Amino acid sequence: MISREICQRILHKALSTGADYAELFAENTVNHTIHMIDSRVDAIKDGIIAGAAIRLYKGLRSVMATTVDTSEKGLLACAEKAAEALGQGSAPMDIVLRERIFGDIHPVKIVPSSVANARKVEILKEGYFAAREYDESIVQTSGTLLDVDHNILIATSEGLYTRDRQIRTRLSIDAVADKGQGTQTGGCRPGSRMGLEMFDTICPKNVGIHAAKQAVTMAGAGYCPAGVMPVAIDNGFGGVIFHEACGHSLEASAVAYGRSQFAGKLGEKIANEKVTAIDDGTIPNAWGSINIDDEGTPAQKNVLIENGILKSYMIDKFNGRRMGMASTGNARRQSYAYTPTSRMTNTYIAPGEDKNEDIIASIEYGLYAKEMGGGSVNPVTGEFNFAVNEGYIVRNGVICEPVRGASLVGKGSDVIRNIDMVGSDLDMGQGMCGSSSGSVPTNVGQPLIRVSSITVGGR
Amino acid sequence: MNFNAFKEAVIAQCECLGIADYELYYQAAESTSVSAFQHALNQFTGSAEGGVCLRCLVDGKMGYASTEDMDPNKAAALVERCVDNAKTLESCDPEFLGEGGQSYAELTLQNYALPSTEKLIEKVLATQEAIYAADPAVIDGSSTQGIAERSEFAIYNSRGLDLHYENTVTGLVVAAVVTNGTEKANDYQIKLGQLDSLDSEALTKKAAKTALGKLGGDVAPTGQYPVVFDPEAMSDLLQTFSSIFSSEVAQKGLSKFADQEGKVVAAPCVTIVDDPFHPENPMPINFDAEGSPTATKAVVESGVLNTLLYNLKTANKAGKKTTGNASKGGYDSPVAVRPFSMYLAGGDITEEELLRKAGNGVYINSLGGLHAGANPISGDFSLQSAGFLIENGVKTTAVKSFTVAGNFYELLKNITAVANNSHLPTAMGMTAFGAPTTLVEGLSIAGK
Repeated sequence: MISREICQRILHKALSTGADYAELFAENTVNHTIHMIDSRVDAIKDGIIAGAAIRLYKGLRSVMATTVDTSEKGLLACAEKAAEALGQGSAPMDIVLRERIFGDIHPVKIVPSSVANARKVEILKEGYFAAREYDESIVQTSGTLLDVDHNILIATSEGLYTRDRQIRTRLSIDAVADKGQGTQTGGCRPGSRMGLEMFDTICPKNVGIHAAKQAVTMAGAGYCPAGVMPVAIDNGFGGVIFHEACGHSLEASAVAYGRSQFAGKLGEKIANEKVTAIDDGTIPNAWGSINIDDEGTPAQKNVLIENGILKSYMIDKFNGRRMGMASTGNARRQSYAYTPTSRMTNTYIAPGEDKNEDIIASIEYGLYAKEMGGGSVNPVTGEFNFAVNEGYIVRNGVICEPVRGASLVGKGSDVIRNIDMVGSDLDMGQGMCGSSSGSVPTNVGQPLIRVSSITVGGR
Repeated sequence: MNFNAFKEAVIAQCECLGIADYELYYQAAESTSVSAFQHALNQFTGSAEGGVCLRCLVDGKMGYASTEDMDPNKAAALVERCVDNAKTLESCDPEFLGEGGQSYAELTLQNYALPSTEKLIEKVLATQEAIYAADPAVIDGSSTQGIAERSEFAIYNSRGLDLHYENTVTGLVVAAVVTNGTEKANDYQIKLGQLDSLDSEALTKKAAKTALGKLGGDVAPTGQYPVVFDPEAMSDLLQTFSSIFSSEVAQKGLSKFADQEGKVVAAPCVTIVDDPFHPENPMPINFDAEGSPTATKAVVESGVLNTLLYNLKTANKAGKKTTGNASKGGYDSPVAVRPFSMYLAGGDITEEELLRKAGNGVYINSLGGLHAGANPISGDFSLQSAGFLIENGVKTTAVKSFTVAGNFYELLKNITAVANNSHLPTAMGMTAFGAPTTLVEGLSIAGK
């Protein structure tokens, strides 16, 4: 890794044209993925990402230059390129870097790169074959075991010099079932910000069974009817509704530019009073957790909405300048090649007081979304969509037959007012969230909730 | 970073270990992007990136390993990882490296110098002002962006392949946020080409006009209607389901087209072409990721599935020749199969005539959540949509926040007309998709 003395010289060069803030971000990441399909290990992706980015701020302008040459010479050239892009300016300030070590709140017991491929294949196969052999209607299965060892160094003109090591592990099993009415898929993708000890608590076999069961259930299901109806969305990955309908619109990257339906609404009631929503990057070993964000700010627990009142946005340093607000520890980037911006970490609706059975019993005719798929949102308008991976019709307060092919669409500001029942059994699901700063691991979560009225797409 | 020095070190290590079949795939890009917010410059990014992927055959199995750290001292570690990965594989389908000495189509590449930062900034600021001037309803130019990228890649292997490709792309992204006082709407437009040739005014007017069209929309009624997709929405659908034409996906049992070559899979008016040299694609290419020559072919011709897309491995398994569609998602990805510019060919009626044919229905010009609401394995989709009602053969009220649902395999059979305006709406990279305005029967709309 790059020494403190070299970082000092690089930042000095970067500031030579009058920037008021400079940052060096260097990275060395090992990504390792073992993939299975057709009951065989068919591909291994094994790569090293190595490079650096230099960012400068001057007022509300930001400049970034990146390089794969992390020698002092390469970094100096990169700093010069960034400085030049900023134009002419005054002589730089002096920088004294002091090393700082933030504690590691996400301990790792088994570093994946120290484990032979053979052991990883064993774990993957346990999950894979549990799905493949679950039922005769399973026609194909695929599986992936991913491990990431992400090492970052951050040095800034404010004097910070620090490093962090972020290790993640994830097992994904996907199953395809066919009962003669067209193929349907099921999946399960638990992940954790830890090493292979993740499998001490998560049994790979259960991951496979979960995926297969979903595919088999949906293969026997008819199409979801279309219309506007109440929907009960279960815990875990169901939290994607808040992530899409509301979370992205609370990111400074939208708010700072007035491109959010929630800009300028701090202190106002934007959601049903039953809704309290939190973004917490400090949950030990959770998939979306960090020690420090990609600008070197320690992770925080931020209450976004409390009893329906908007309390906080998710803010990075650069957009914070435009908003006149401090960073909330939410600056994230997929790699050095992406300009970091405000992103979610582990975002969830906090547990409420409704009972699960009451929530289901309250629905005369509607949909129970047991598992959600991904979605997307346009923060300007708040219009969102997401897919229901496993849904059931609810009739007279009873969960009835499964239905396939459903999606939910609506407007974020409407849907969070329509969350009128919140259960107590909080659980989280793991996802990769894509946005302008690339793909980053995020947790979504909630207890079982009821949305009183939403458009269900089906046929 | 020196690819050649690293390459020599990797070759020496492979030869030392007695590895006879190896290949290096190198990719690098140098890019600049500038964006403006309101009337000022907001962000500048200048990036240089590059990486190399080694693959080698060990006991008939193809291992992969990649790195961005091209320090020749680390070449041996890359080879070691590659061999270890190969030994872990269990795939039994034979794998191949491309052969040297093949002949390729002549190609004229856009290989000009990147514009200066000053020039890029000037163009972006001028475009930003053009957005505000485009319509009084425009309240924010959002992120007008100028982009310039020079990319290159090279394939070198032990079978005599030694290919190199270099291309330059520049362009503008404009976004307009409009309001009518109570509601906001936005639109993005992208146009590639040499900066001087890009018409900022026309592009910003189009963005403003499209955004304005989304204001004040009603919710569509629920039911089954004739649906007209505009070229962009239809291209998005084709892109989302394009994997069904991949032999690799078919051989894994994940496409219904597995045993359909030569059979009718679509309506007679449907012809789908894959063209590596499409004039609207700024990155034409005459060799694929395995170094095989590329070629233009009709994948579906008048409703009949002519051929799937193949690479060396899948073609061998099917007893066919590669169609030159080997691809890599990134330099570090395994070789897969992908189209270049795949488009639904146009017909001979105008969009107006097609709308008259539709009679009463829904016109869709925007689809959302394609990564989530569409399942390329089953073909099912249920997607967030926006557009207009079609009444008595003309577009009338704007509608939004509704879904369109159906199955792509069935949709191909239910296309009843294609207009004469087929084009590639957003060709940004080597893979692009296109379509004309398309009329489809039998889809479900869920609105109010």
